[in-house]
Amino acid sequence: MGRVIVVTSGKGGVGKTTSTANLGTALALLDKTVVVVDADVGLRNLDIVMGLESRIVYTSMDVIEKQCELNKALVRDRRVDGLMLLAASQKNNKDDIQPEQMKAICDKLRTTHDFVLIDSPAGIERGFRNASAGADEAIIVTTPDVSAIRDADRIIGLLQNARIEPINLVLNRFSAELVGNGSMMDQDDVLDILNIDLIGVVPEDSGVITSTNRGIPLVYEDGSPGAQAYMRIARRLTGQRIPIPDFAQKGLLNNIMNWFKKKK
Amino acid sequence: MSISIKQLFGRKPKSSSIAKQRLKLVITQDRLEQVDDRVMTRLHHELAEVLAKYFEFSANSVKMNLKQEGNSYILVADFPYTKFHDVNVRQ
Ligand SMILES: Nc1ncnc2c1ncn2[C@@H]1O[C@H](COP(=O)(O)OP(=O)(O)OP(=O)(O)O)[C@@H](O)[C@H]1O
Ligand SMILES: [Mg+2]
Repeated sequence: MGRVIVVTSGKGGVGKTTSTANLGTALALLDKTVVVVDADVGLRNLDIVMGLESRIVYTSMDVIEKQCELNKALVRDRRVDGLMLLAASQKNNKDDIQPEQMKAICDKLRTTHDFVLIDSPAGIERGFRNASAGADEAIIVTTPDVSAIRDADRIIGLLQNARIEPINLVLNRFSAELVGNGSMMDQDDVLDILNIDLIGVVPEDSGVITSTNRGIPLVYEDGSPGAQAYMRIARRLTGQRIPIPDFAQKGLLNNIMNWFKKKK
Repeated sequence: MSISIKQLFGRKPKSSSIAKQRLKLVITQDRLEQVDDRVMTRLHHELAEVLAKYFEFSANSVKMNLKQEGNSYILVADFPYTKFHDVNVRQ
């Protein structure tokens, strides 16, 4: 039986879709079978971030309305074995789907795949409820700023009430430099506030933006720090024990170096 | 107060520590508010029902509050009673 994991955040624009695309691809690169599900009905983006937008024929709405079989609605990603996308309908809105219908889709997908990753919309309303209805685990994405963390805490409360666990944290857009000079909270600060397990830290990386422009998930670019971070998270998801590097330490080192440079 | 002393020595507190401090406060408040009044009223009635078997008290003297200590949240309920029913005697 596969695992169903909802990728969610509360606040918008913190990297849910980016994380779903990269973790889904990374897991497939690790030889897992994966379906990434876009649950952002009406504002779908996972297809374009993954570069699959031109191949979408059916959506989860067509499956719910019995216009098409679930298997037929899945779009195969041709760049890696075992990766599929289930797109969201663009012409419907979030109230057109019931949580039970999403759960039924997830329950079916988990019988044939190792991982089902659900890209949740922002917010705590119907869209989030639909996205989390079929999930047994959650990944919370947050950036190290006050509003994203506050909203993440609200979502954690809702997930705990729904008995969804484990809830793992991805800290995104982390800047070692800003942490080093005291203008950004580090991972310990964030964990101290949110009190959940950290599964990875993704640095701010311009590669995320260029790879999104191209529609090729960043994890294909081996050398980039963002890609390495997502690959490590995927490995941790499969149960491998990989320590989380201390980016702040590097930041401190950088700042000391810069200070010496300035002195010269 | 501590901030002004630091400022006196020309050291501003890091904005990341201010962020953390503010977040801790606001999140505590958020979490306490999530236990809404309806739930508290219901709990109040249910607790009173059970306690009435053992104690005599007036319903409007009861006080219930949530507070935080460290990482946990505590429900504090005050039921000032006037009389104890000795259950053993009655049976
Ligand atoms: N680690 C990163 N480094 C640089 N840019 C990033 C990073 N993560 C995300 N971004 C950028 O932030 C923006 C928002 O990302 P994304 O769409 O993944 O967020 P989201 O949480 O899915 O948003 P929404 O709530 O609207 O669905 C995008 O432009 C993305 O390229
Ligand atoms: Mg998104």
